[in-house]
Amino acid sequence: MTSLPLVPPEALSVRTHCPYCAYQCGMLIGDGTADAPGTVQGDPHFPVNNGELCIKGWTSTTLLRHPDRLTSPLVRVRGELRPATWDAALDATAEAIRATKERYGPDAVGVFGSGALTNEKAYLLGKFARVAVGTANIDYNGRYCMSSAAAAGNRAFGIDRGLPFPVSDIEKAEVVLLVGSNAADTLPPIMQWFDRQRRAGGRLAVIDPRKTATARAADLFLPVTPGSDLALANGLLYLAVEENLIARKFIESRTTGFDAVRRAVLTYHPAHVERLTGVAEATMRKLVRWLGSARSAMILSGRGPEQQSKGVDTANAFINLALALGLPGKPASGWGTLTGQGNGQGGREHGQKADQLPGYRLIEVDPHREAVAKVWGVDPASLPRKGKSAFELLDALGPEGGIRSLLVMGSNVAVASPDLTRIGCRLAALDHLTVCDAFLNETAAHAHVILPAYQWAEEEGTMTNLEGRVIHRRRVARPPTGVRGDIDILRELADRLGSGDKFAFHSARDVFEELRRATAGGTADYSGITYERIDREDGVCWPCPSEDHPGTPRLFADRFAHPDGKARFFAVEHRPAGDEPDAHYPFYFTTGRYREHYNSGAQTRLVGALTKARPHPLLQIHPAAATRHRVGGGSVVTLESRRGRAEFRAEVTPAIRPDTLFAPFHWGGSEAANQLINPALDPTSLMPEFKLAAVRIVAVGTPVETP
Amino acid sequence: MTRKRLAIVGNGMAAGRLLDELVRRTATALFDIAVFGEEVHGSYNRILLGRIIGGATADEITLKPRAWYADRGVVFHPGKLVTRLDATARVAHTRDGEQHPFDVAVFATGSKPIVPPLDGLTTGDGKPKAGAFVYRTVEDSEQIRRAARPAGSAVVLGGGLLGLEAAKALCDLGLHVTVVQRADTLMNVQVDALGGRFLRAAVERAGIFVRTGTGAVGVRGEDRITGVVLTTGEILPADMFVLACGIRPRVDAAEASGVPVRTGIVVNDLLATSVPGVFAVGECAEHDGKVYGVVPPIWAQCEVLADILTGANPQARYRGSKLYTRLKVAGVEVASMGVVEPTTDADEVIQVIEDRRGIYRKLIVRDGKLAGAVLVGETDSAPALARWFDRADPLPPNRLDVFCSPDVLAAAADPEICNCHHVTHGTLVGAIRDGCTTLPQLSAATTAGTGCGSCRGAIAKLILQHSPRTADAAVTGTGRYG
Repeated sequence: MTSLPLVPPEALSVRTHCPYCAYQCGMLIGDGTADAPGTVQGDPHFPVNNGELCIKGWTSTTLLRHPDRLTSPLVRVRGELRPATWDAALDATAEAIRATKERYGPDAVGVFGSGALTNEKAYLLGKFARVAVGTANIDYNGRYCMSSAAAAGNRAFGIDRGLPFPVSDIEKAEVVLLVGSNAADTLPPIMQWFDRQRRAGGRLAVIDPRKTATARAADLFLPVTPGSDLALANGLLYLAVEENLIARKFIESRTTGFDAVRRAVLTYHPAHVERLTGVAEATMRKLVRWLGSARSAMILSGRGPEQQSKGVDTANAFINLALALGLPGKPASGWGTLTGQGNGQGGREHGQKADQLPGYRLIEVDPHREAVAKVWGVDPASLPRKGKSAFELLDALGPEGGIRSLLVMGSNVAVASPDLTRIGCRLAALDHLTVCDAFLNETAAHAHVILPAYQWAEEEGTMTNLEGRVIHRRRVARPPTGVRGDIDILRELADRLGSGDKFAFHSARDVFEELRRATAGGTADYSGITYERIDREDGVCWPCPSEDHPGTPRLFADRFAHPDGKARFFAVEHRPAGDEPDAHYPFYFTTGRYREHYNSGAQTRLVGALTKARPHPLLQIHPAAATRHRVGGGSVVTLESRRGRAEFRAEVTPAIRPDTLFAPFHWGGSEAANQLINPALDPTSLMPEFKLAAVRIVAVGTPVETP
Repeated sequence: MTRKRLAIVGNGMAAGRLLDELVRRTATALFDIAVFGEEVHGSYNRILLGRIIGGATADEITLKPRAWYADRGVVFHPGKLVTRLDATARVAHTRDGEQHPFDVAVFATGSKPIVPPLDGLTTGDGKPKAGAFVYRTVEDSEQIRRAARPAGSAVVLGGGLLGLEAAKALCDLGLHVTVVQRADTLMNVQVDALGGRFLRAAVERAGIFVRTGTGAVGVRGEDRITGVVLTTGEILPADMFVLACGIRPRVDAAEASGVPVRTGIVVNDLLATSVPGVFAVGECAEHDGKVYGVVPPIWAQCEVLADILTGANPQARYRGSKLYTRLKVAGVEVASMGVVEPTTDADEVIQVIEDRRGIYRKLIVRDGKLAGAVLVGETDSAPALARWFDRADPLPPNRLDVFCSPDVLAAAADPEICNCHHVTHGTLVGAIRDGCTTLPQLSAATTAGTGCGSCRGAIAKLILQHSPRTADAAVTGTGRYG
């Protein structure tokens, strides 16, 4: 049994936010006196989570006093990582960057960021890559997370903000459709809003290949075939047209492009869609009637439809449905995506993505380049152009691909990427790898230099949650001796690379001031946001172009963000996944999360209470498939895809389709689900196809006891 | 490199789909594409012709308006019938005497309706008499719509998919409709005899009269049809006579071009005819002895052909399709896949008959796998059956398991109340009965409620429900920080 102290809130006085997901629960930590407070409580006054936390949040302070914490830089000497002084480590990294640039050009240096970084760090890392290094090749693990929904949002609405409304609007929606989101496990405290919604008489529908914890809470469940969400959305729109549920007035006055979509979905006859998706026509009809006749309805997307090689088109297919029903811009209605990573939203707005500059500006658009170059005090022509996307970047590591030296900040790419065997070889082929992190992880195993960094509670900064709400993470703990902040690290490195004057920041607030100027006039305009306002107003939603601007909790009431103010339909077609099952690899394999773990598990696998609850990944397999392969509960099942192998203990359950296997992706090594995953990329977002690969069962071992 | 000229003969659903697949593979950079359509419309969805009878406009079922072709640099020749290809000279000849050069040609000429030789059906010049209709094109459907008058009577010849669809559309317009079917049961290709009886009952309930086991031998009426003569000698009075007794591949242009034809235009796995540079796709094509008249196989063919023509995947091959039909006929749901009758002694047959509810389900199992199925009246299990059928996975030992609704299978026996610590309803109730009657006690015993705390309300309710001494204590224990 875990002993989680239930301490009255009076003793916990510092308001901050959780280190993990995009929900960024408000939490109260410590009493402001301890070096490393051990107690935490949900912040009852933060209007997003209202005092609730999930098990990860409750146990998050464990990491602040963890014995495995890195407290000294490590430098690889004769194949072995050895403690070194900060100067030696920073010199080694700077020298590697300098030498790589000199020998192979600046683009041979890669920078890999993270959706866990604060806005300030994400901004600074992007600037560091473009200004101090001069490389085009910077991207971040958010590419693996929200990039498809982001691209779809930009195409349809002219803006990408995860949710166009506050989460509290959920309770006012008569119908909510969750597409491939297991929010009950991935963003547990959000369920309070769905609970309220349903208590108020609202209805919840869930599309998922698994009967997840979220699906079990739903009034209607659509067990979709992996990779067929797009066909399902088009099929729903076909039915909406047939049943005359579409909002003609809205379509006429506020959108363009419906005609092409109407024609495209004409071939998505229910008979065809049923066979592709596995969802019965009666169920589809029920859902579309709910959505089309409700006074308010939301379609919320998760990673299921997005992490596909047709992820952007799939997201657009659901946006088409939402637009045809007239939902976006209507109160408590519309389309949104439930962002995954802590600062997935802010991370993609401030220029750590290969094609973007701060303020959601685009690196290939000249006026955008000029605006940012002016703030940075550099020649616009000196800014690199668009670089490689996350997987492409990692796949280009080594002599063949040409990226010789890599700096990774806050991401465990050796577990989080698809086709891990390949990525492992690429990482090993680097001339030089620097990893900034608080703990050793699978990626750090390849590093030449490891720079120990502050954790979330040891420095302040801002994050942008899934609503586009900019929030303030406070410093509540004293970092251990020997550890430095990322802002210091980037300053020191820039100094050594001769650009110290552009990185002379000593606090997150300094960086934020420049970030405000750099985003002014951009799509994601933060210029009116200050730390003081965030504290006073429980966060401020962007765009916020001036200090007297109230922020924008709700978008689209009057206009969409395209120049003509209209939303755009996109005609999209179903197509096969990069790796469809066949006679040799008969099963669909899909991945997801446990409530107890986060991303690659680099943090959560260090927390005793979490690993005790979920020590290993379990392979979900349907009884029909299990019987056929003589798999029992706890059997060790070896799976193989066209790329690699992984081994899991089995959990036999009817909560999954008989043609589909599921395992979570929080583990590395032989338990790494991503060994099996296909790096087929979406042509627009360059998102790898995490949600579906074709696999076969190659061996079944004797059951070991499952905890 | 000069671009090749690609001629697509026909502009039906296969041609439209082929164009989509070509455009998706950026074929317009490789080819100058010309499309020849006998009809003046852009490609439309023939499956939805029933809507035209019901009053919809052609635009509502049009997949590609003319602008679509122009926007993509495809030349569309509306109303231009290609009568033959000169495969040596590489020229397509049209009915109006034009010649269009090509390098590669694709026949996508589709099918034509079968018009049986009935006594008195045609006028002197060979045209059908007024009041007689075929049901194949937008024009046909518009004519049917115009001729359908209230209180009129219609006889539909053919009790298959098309016939029943036409009958339903006319019945919806208030006509007195009789379906005449030569076979003993309706939809005898997709549905077995017993299923056909269920289907008939449902069709009749929908207001359509059905005559089976009888055909038409002639029609009555001088200038226009007044009645239909059946093989029994009986005469059914009718203002309208709709011929829906089947389709046949349109192969006349291919024959005139010297392209080998059996039932359809003979193609191999690359959709190629034996004439170099000439391909065929869709209902007009015969692959491995089979001609397909439903959409999914044709789409699969278009994908392969586009892969081949553009070089996107030169190894793409069409290996035939499994037949699957799923539709609503006269308001009744029908699904049919694979074989509908056992063909060997080893084939297992499972039938589930619900007379009262009008529901019929049948499975044909071969070597432990689903070889075919028929569902009439209720098709919730159709998607799951399609999965067993398409994937050819071995069926569960209890064959009836495949009919289970997915929801029934997935219902958790013991729901989780505390999601943080995975404490189930059963565990909590057990602990309450063991004497934990306050929230702190229960939390201490089971860890439930010590995670996010969102389940504490539910736990308090359980205490109230199951505690021997219901408790003020429990209620006071529900405070958020209690």
